[in-house]
Amino acid sequence: MALLELKNISKIYGELKALDNVSIKVEKGEWVAIMGPSGSGKSTMMNIIGCMDKPSMGEVLLDGVDISKESQKKLTDIRRDKIGLIFQQFHMVTYLTAVENVMVSQYYHSMPDEEEALEALGRVGLRERAKHLPSQLSGGEQQRVCVARALINHPELILADEPTGNLDEANENIVLDLFRQLHNEGTTLIVVTHDPEVAEAAQRTIVLEHGRVAREVINENFGK
Amino acid sequence: MTKRKMFLRMITASLLRRRSRMLIALLSIAVGATILSGLVTIYYDVPRQMGAQFRSYGANMILLPEGNSTLTMDTLDTALKTIPEENVVGATPYRYVRLDMPSRQQSFTSAGTDFSQVQKTSPYFSVDGEYPEKTRQVLVGKEIADTIGVKVGSSMELSYKNTAVSSQEASGDWVPGASLTGSAEGFNEAVLTVNVTLDENAAIESIEIDASSQTENIGALVGTDPVYLKQFIGKTLPLDGEDIDALAGATISSQAVVDAVNTARSTENAVARENTERFEVTGILSTGGEEESYIYMALEDLQKLTGEEILDVAELSVSAGAEELEEYSNSITGAGLGISSRLVKRVTKSEASVLGKLQALVFLVTVVVLLLTMICVSTTMMAVVSERRREIGLRKALGASDGSIRKEFLGEGMFLGGLGGLLGAVLGFVFAQVVSINVFGSSINFQPLLLPVTVIVSMAIAAVSCQLPIKRAVAIDPAIVLKGE
Ligand SMILES: Nc1ncnc2c1ncn2[C@@H]1O[C@H](COP(=O)(O)OP(=O)(O)OP(=O)(O)O)[C@@H](O)[C@H]1O
Ligand SMILES: [Mg+2]
Repeated sequence: MALLELKNISKIYGELKALDNVSIKVEKGEWVAIMGPSGSGKSTMMNIIGCMDKPSMGEVLLDGVDISKESQKKLTDIRRDKIGLIFQQFHMVTYLTAVENVMVSQYYHSMPDEEEALEALGRVGLRERAKHLPSQLSGGEQQRVCVARALINHPELILADEPTGNLDEANENIVLDLFRQLHNEGTTLIVVTHDPEVAEAAQRTIVLEHGRVAREVINENFGK
Repeated sequence: MTKRKMFLRMITASLLRRRSRMLIALLSIAVGATILSGLVTIYYDVPRQMGAQFRSYGANMILLPEGNSTLTMDTLDTALKTIPEENVVGATPYRYVRLDMPSRQQSFTSAGTDFSQVQKTSPYFSVDGEYPEKTRQVLVGKEIADTIGVKVGSSMELSYKNTAVSSQEASGDWVPGASLTGSAEGFNEAVLTVNVTLDENAAIESIEIDASSQTENIGALVGTDPVYLKQFIGKTLPLDGEDIDALAGATISSQAVVDAVNTARSTENAVARENTERFEVTGILSTGGEEESYIYMALEDLQKLTGEEILDVAELSVSAGAEELEEYSNSITGAGLGISSRLVKRVTKSEASVLGKLQALVFLVTVVVLLLTMICVSTTMMAVVSERRREIGLRKALGASDGSIRKEFLGEGMFLGGLGGLLGAVLGFVFAQVVSINVFGSSINFQPLLLPVTVIVSMAIAAVSCQLPIKRAVAIDPAIVLKGE
């Protein structure tokens, strides 16, 4: 059974069809890239998968559960338990330190554990910067903290919307390496990107255009 | 680390690291709490303060001997014990006696009292000079001072004659051959004196009357009219008023002669009953009232002159509400001390009504200030919420339930409320103290209970003020985070 299955979903804002009858399947442990021009509906789709929005029509099956019918409260529970989110603008709580930002995610999920949070920061190479506030970190470092925060609760699915959009080459590679590690550990990854290099790192690329799936490309070079 | 620890860590971090905005919210709560605790302090202190103010209008409780019992310093002290000591502003004993001023052959009402208490129960007394502090000093009413022409520093002789001896007492002296002397008030309260000698049968042998104080050619004639005087010879004591025909046109003087004879004592005893003392005038008293026609001296001085320890009345100034006052008054009357207490209603009534109005005003201002504080805190928190939209969206995206968001904001709000309340309780006391000193001219006591009350009320106000902002926060859509707004 697929981890995620979108069945004919549409999202309609008044006249505009942000998503128009989209069907996608993502297997457990798969690494999928989503590409498409601006306004093609990538973020809209991520919001729906991430349980932060509901489709106007269609079904979304996550682990066999149709989340398009669930209550707001249930959606929050599912998001907290199964999904790790990484955003284009490295969103951090500005008045909390790096390690505290990671712990916030633990706090809502289960129990804050500073040691574990520090370990996660170590994994993204920022253990020494744990006590620094976001304003004292570079953009790339902030994004790495966000990756640490996304993986701290061991989610089944990591959703990343333009995770490298604001990063330089070096930081982009660090993040991609982290994704590879996560993939190897069996985490399912869905990464929205404009960057063909980032897309090529994935097993499969889904291209959206005008709210529809224009094409799917299997990455022949994956793993090489 | 426990969830609670992390919760506190997040809240304190939010407050400490985002100081400027939180400072405004803290300040508005602190200001509100200051006014609240300040006004409540004043609200509860006003009765005491106002009471003290009203006490300047004089005594509000009068103690009198009941029936045949006598009022003495001892019974007064016992009566005072039924009232809490701190409520008694002053308690002044008074004994009124007429004293003669031999040098002018005039008599004046003199009051024996305690001057330290007088200044408390009759603060409106205006003294030119000083209150007496030592023995044999007097305070002379302005009216008397004007008539007899005494000034501060002059001295005057006052003497006490016991004219009001009862017939039973006098009868002990009615022995054969006795020489008796007596006096009584005649026309216009002027005193006339008689000298009587008794024969071997204890009947009147001769009589001499000094009626020079009576009206010339009318009352004064009782001393010289031979027909009138002859009526007394051979009569036994006591005289019956009907035995003696009054001198035409001088009924009062005639009656005074009969009274004087009937109360006359043997010369030796009578002399012993007359005491004279020289007094120094330390001050002239003006009040605009009847007090100006009295001479005031220390109670001990008067007691020495009269040889009596009784009091006529005690004036009390008691600081208490109308109901309490009524209660105190009843307890004194009912204490079985032979003392009856009554309240000076005019003073206590106006006190109660002014107090009521003042407290209503303070209450109103407090409510308005609390409302304004709530609006201010609410507005600030609203700004805080919109400022932190992205953070709230992020928290929700990370899995925060509506409940946790609510809890976090409420936590921050109540923390601010508690801190502001603590600050306000302290500042409020300072505020109340300043107001009290400026308006009432006296300091107030710190109410320890007010500290927790202010803190709790401030927290409650903060909690209520946060409700609308929290509603806003909970409604924030986590999707804004992905949209990168
Ligand atoms: N809340 C909304 N109300 C109305 N229209 C919306 C709303 N959210 C998104 N849209 C519209 O839906 C379309 C798809 O938006 P979406 O954010 O998914 O694009 P995107 O593919 O993520 O673009 P980008 O690459 O620029 O991030 C856009 O035309 C957008 O204007
Ligand atoms: Mg987008």
